[in-house]
Amino acid sequence: MSVAKRILVAEDDPVTRRFVVSLLTERGYEVLVAEDGEHAIATATTAQPDLIVSDLVMPYRDGYEVLRAIRTDERLKNIPVLILSMRDHEEDIVRGFEQGADEYIVKPFNAREFVSRVRKLLEPRRA
Amino acid sequence: MQGALIVTVLSIAAIFLALTILIVTGKAWREFRDGWCRARRRVLEPLILKYTHGSDASVLPALGGAIARRDRVVVETILLDHVSRVRGIEHERLCRALDELGFVDRFLANLRGSRWWGRAKAAEKLGIASAKRATSQLAAALTDEVPEVRLRAAKALGLVGGRAAVLPLVNALTEPNRWSTIRIADILTGMGGEVVKELMDAFPKLNAHAKLAALDILGRIHALEAVPWLLSRLDDPESNVRARAAHALGAIGVVDAAPVLRKALTDAAWPVRAMAAKALGRVHDLEAIPALCGALRDSEWWVRANAAEALKLAGPPGIEALEGMLKDTDLYATHQACLMLQDAGVLDRRVAELAGNGERRSAAESVVSRFVQAGQLSRLRELATAHSDAVVREAVLRLLPQKAVTGAAQ
Repeated sequence: MSVAKRILVAEDDPVTRRFVVSLLTERGYEVLVAEDGEHAIATATTAQPDLIVSDLVMPYRDGYEVLRAIRTDERLKNIPVLILSMRDHEEDIVRGFEQGADEYIVKPFNAREFVSRVRKLLEPRRA
Repeated sequence: MQGALIVTVLSIAAIFLALTILIVTGKAWREFRDGWCRARRRVLEPLILKYTHGSDASVLPALGGAIARRDRVVVETILLDHVSRVRGIEHERLCRALDELGFVDRFLANLRGSRWWGRAKAAEKLGIASAKRATSQLAAALTDEVPEVRLRAAKALGLVGGRAAVLPLVNALTEPNRWSTIRIADILTGMGGEVVKELMDAFPKLNAHAKLAALDILGRIHALEAVPWLLSRLDDPESNVRARAAHALGAIGVVDAAPVLRKALTDAAWPVRAMAAKALGRVHDLEAIPALCGALRDSEWWVRANAAEALKLAGPPGIEALEGMLKDTDLYATHQACLMLQDAGVLDRRVAELAGNGERRSAAESVVSRFVQAGQLSRLRELATAHSDAVVREAVLRLLPQKAVTGAAQ
């Protein structure tokens, strides 16, 4: 029996958070939640998730800071990160990728597209 | 006398006591109700989300066959909260649930209500619920006597979408006194490609104000399919229409439009020439470089400024052309070329090359000398005193006229 992949959802909006958690749990993933950037980094460090889904606008530390912290931490730097944000400007998206995001999805989002990208990011990476 | 005083004091105390009890009871009731709603939400939300992610045709089985009257507000809130956050199939399923559970019917009834805030709220909710069958009622609400209701109905039509929703919004563009054109234009722009055909079809019947707004919308949504139609608007008898059509073509950025835009650079009306120059810059048409150089000699400042900007946007060939224009006999053209070369950082680069030798240095000296001849000395003065390379500072000082050198030294 395979072990469920663990996904950390960092999202301050409770409605979106519950929707994403429900969507991922329904697909058999183990989901951890963080309501702000600070909590997201702490949870990522202790729980070592297989994927992080992060909002950009969050209290205490924003999504870019979360990305920077993850990419500069030896233990976390290889964890794929999917940004799920309302910010749809080209500069925000480019900045997200430059800071190390693997995927960027703009809200309101298509749930099926989101799940397929999550699945893709959780696939074993080719050498 | 004393008895009357006691009665008065007791009455006031009784009123205060009654008010305090009323406030405390009200607050306690609100807190109890909110707590109850939160508790019900914790129970109902997972059931609704399970339906949303699943494939059941109806939401009712997930809710146990029906929803209790007391749960209706909670269920409505859950559905509206989630429907605005997702797209695709999940969005459609949440919209279907809102309709199936009778919320859309209730919003429609409220839209006909006597209280304006109730109508405004109902219009907003119908938009969030993407209630296609409410289109005609929302279109009718565009004539509501209260501006807030009209605006929320317009926004709702933008969210509902479809041909029937576009037409009333396009018509609203013709009433600038009743509507904020910018807001209606924003709503139509947000609807994307589905407004293109409607805007083009309605165009002949629109007033002058609405025609310009329609052209702007087509440019903002980058309506590729509207390009041939926009090109034909460059022959419109109204110069404002020609100018906005040129602007829209530039915003869309299709190089196929370049030959017609080049022709528009010679239009009799200067706003058309200015917008054509700007558009040619946006479509990066290298063949337009000679025509844009000609536009640098235009009698109108806006045309010259936009032509210079377009040459800058054309990249190295455009910059080369601007440097070539430094030798032009038209003082206005030379002046505009100087400003743009300075703005693009070309002057600074050329000045740095004064420290070198050979052809590059000669070319740099030629450009700097042209700036001096044109009287464009302010940046050169700054570089003569502040450049990090002493050789460059000395070279600039040699090229500056004596009077300017004294100014720089001061």
